[in-house]
Amino acid sequence: MTRRLIVEPRGLSPWWLKLLIPIGSVVAALILGALFLALTGNDWVEVYSKMVDAAFGSERGITETLVSATPLILTGVAAAIAFKMLVWNIGGEGQLIFGATTAAGVGIWLSSSTPPFVAITAVVLAGAVGGAFWASLSAVPKVYLGTNEIITTLMLNFIALNLMNYLVLGSFSPWRDPDATQFPQGRPIIENALIPQFRLRLDWGLFIAIAVAIIAWFVISKTRSGFEYRIVGDSFDAARYAGIKVPQKVLGTFLASGAAAGLAGSILVAGILGKMDPRSLDLGLGFIGIIVAALARLNPIAIIPVAILMGALNNAGPALQSIGVPAATVQILQGAILLFAVGGEFLILNRIRRPERPAEEAPADVEVSAA
Amino acid sequence: MNESVLMLTIMAAIGLGTGIVFATVGEILAERSGVLNLGVQGMMLVGAVMGFWATFETGSLWLGVLAAVVAGAAFSIIHAFNSVTLGVSQIVSGLALTIFGAGLAAFIGRAGANPLIGQPSRAVFQPIFPEGLAELPIVGPLIFGHDALVYLSWIVVAAASFYLFRTRPGLTVRAVGEDPASAEAAGVNVSTVRYVHVMVGGGLAGLGGAYFSLALVPSWQDNPITAAGWIAIALVILASWRPWRALWVAYLFGAAGRLNFTFQTLEINVPAALLAMLPFVLAIIAMIVLTSGKRARLLGAPAALGIPYYREER
Repeated sequence: MTRRLIVEPRGLSPWWLKLLIPIGSVVAALILGALFLALTGNDWVEVYSKMVDAAFGSERGITETLVSATPLILTGVAAAIAFKMLVWNIGGEGQLIFGATTAAGVGIWLSSSTPPFVAITAVVLAGAVGGAFWASLSAVPKVYLGTNEIITTLMLNFIALNLMNYLVLGSFSPWRDPDATQFPQGRPIIENALIPQFRLRLDWGLFIAIAVAIIAWFVISKTRSGFEYRIVGDSFDAARYAGIKVPQKVLGTFLASGAAAGLAGSILVAGILGKMDPRSLDLGLGFIGIIVAALARLNPIAIIPVAILMGALNNAGPALQSIGVPAATVQILQGAILLFAVGGEFLILNRIRRPERPAEEAPADVEVSAA
Repeated sequence: MNESVLMLTIMAAIGLGTGIVFATVGEILAERSGVLNLGVQGMMLVGAVMGFWATFETGSLWLGVLAAVVAGAAFSIIHAFNSVTLGVSQIVSGLALTIFGAGLAAFIGRAGANPLIGQPSRAVFQPIFPEGLAELPIVGPLIFGHDALVYLSWIVVAAASFYLFRTRPGLTVRAVGEDPASAEAAGVNVSTVRYVHVMVGGGLAGLGGAYFSLALVPSWQDNPITAAGWIAIALVILASWRPWRALWVAYLFGAAGRLNFTFQTLEINVPAALLAMLPFVLAIIAMIVLTSGKRARLLGAPAALGIPYYREER
């Protein structure tokens, strides 16, 4: 005899479960990936050891993993702070690209004699402003007209991408390098605006990203404004009764989210790229940021290690091709991790137990557990 | 405008729009039952690669179509489980489906000693009517100039519209999307209805994907559908959840995608990248004008869209 299991919401979830489920999601995705690799005739042990080696096996591997993680910390924070308030900003992609566009614009326009500190600050902040502006194109209609932000942020991703392609590949705009006659590419920003690298290609942008994550955590959990933010995230109605101006909070969160994604763009431009490079900015970093945020359960501090994990995966992809395994393995793993993480949320939020039953049915219970 | 240029544009619009029509109608069915599935792009890609693979192995186009439909529907079960059985965030689950599906398609296309990547399809959907009919002025190409999947898409649109608005099961679906608790009280199994419609949506998305890999660009590449899945999600809203409107807006999008060539033929010089942007700009403007706030409800947005439903304990 089968009985329906009883599912009931937990009031408070234990801390170990909040840690166990994300880790379990990664393990489950790796197991699924191994099965898939084995089914397609690949040696999964070889593939996974190659990935670990590429991501962490050398100084170059480790620094490249951190280089890949830097923008993901920022797009992860962007997704997390928005999702926590039920603002479905899936336009991190477009905000990153438009942030890169404004950052590169400022970095090209500045006089080459601008002092480095001033130049770097200007370029990096320009990206944040650009990202916030791009987010405002969805945020303002959402807050004042009620327009669904899922679709508008999504559409703006493609608009930003095409705009970037137009500026660098499709026209002779100031963003395009006039000296590159063979293959069009972005014009380099002034040298003084480049963020210094301190270990191979790894630059100080990593610490800007970590600082943003810590600031996001601090503002949300330690300030009055963050307290109000959490109330809005829990319930719009409760926030309204508490006298919180919900539309302004939603607007502010949306813009901050866009600014974080835009920062990811400007740190790429002022960091490893040095120019607006369409091929290196169209890698789905905004979408991977959503995976990072979900796996970190929207906690800005947890985003840092999770972004490093995703950066490691991204970094390992190209290495797989050298042993004849498609780089898309990485994408499968990332997608599977997100699927397990989102499904695992059910186990964090709910308790599943057997229904209590009358004593006379006890023998049936023994049979069930024996089977 | 030159008549032949206009005709070429219309024919191209139908070609570029047909894959999107299937996916949009599929998403309309899922959303009408109350489930938002942002995994359309992933489901289309899985359908595109499985359809291409099946045709590549068997030489049969219709086995390819069958494989695409089955693969898309099977793949969508993941989303149905997350959003119906577990009741977790439909938005994140759908995005995960897209990332997972894109990875799967790219992997399958490149796996093995003799990968599909770069291979032309062994068979391609061709216009089905004799050339004489298609050469009739104007109506010839418009009515007789298409491949079988275009006609199938018209049948799917008509059938979906009839089903949703003229049949009792269709009424049930809309009730589930509007007010699942009342539907359940009236004896409807909300979970079953949602599972079925998410899977039908997945099957149609898979079919839409196969249109790209077996008819429009019949050779395998990592992503033969570009952004068609995302466009379909936007078109559901522009079509206000109605299948016939989905057909027209998908063709409009197809025409916009073709404008580049049209302008070139007419010797009007507009940068390609700016034209590529146009459909998305139009979609946003239309969204803001047509669907903001309460107007979305008047248009026909299902009231329970995206909201998990938990059956009351009895």
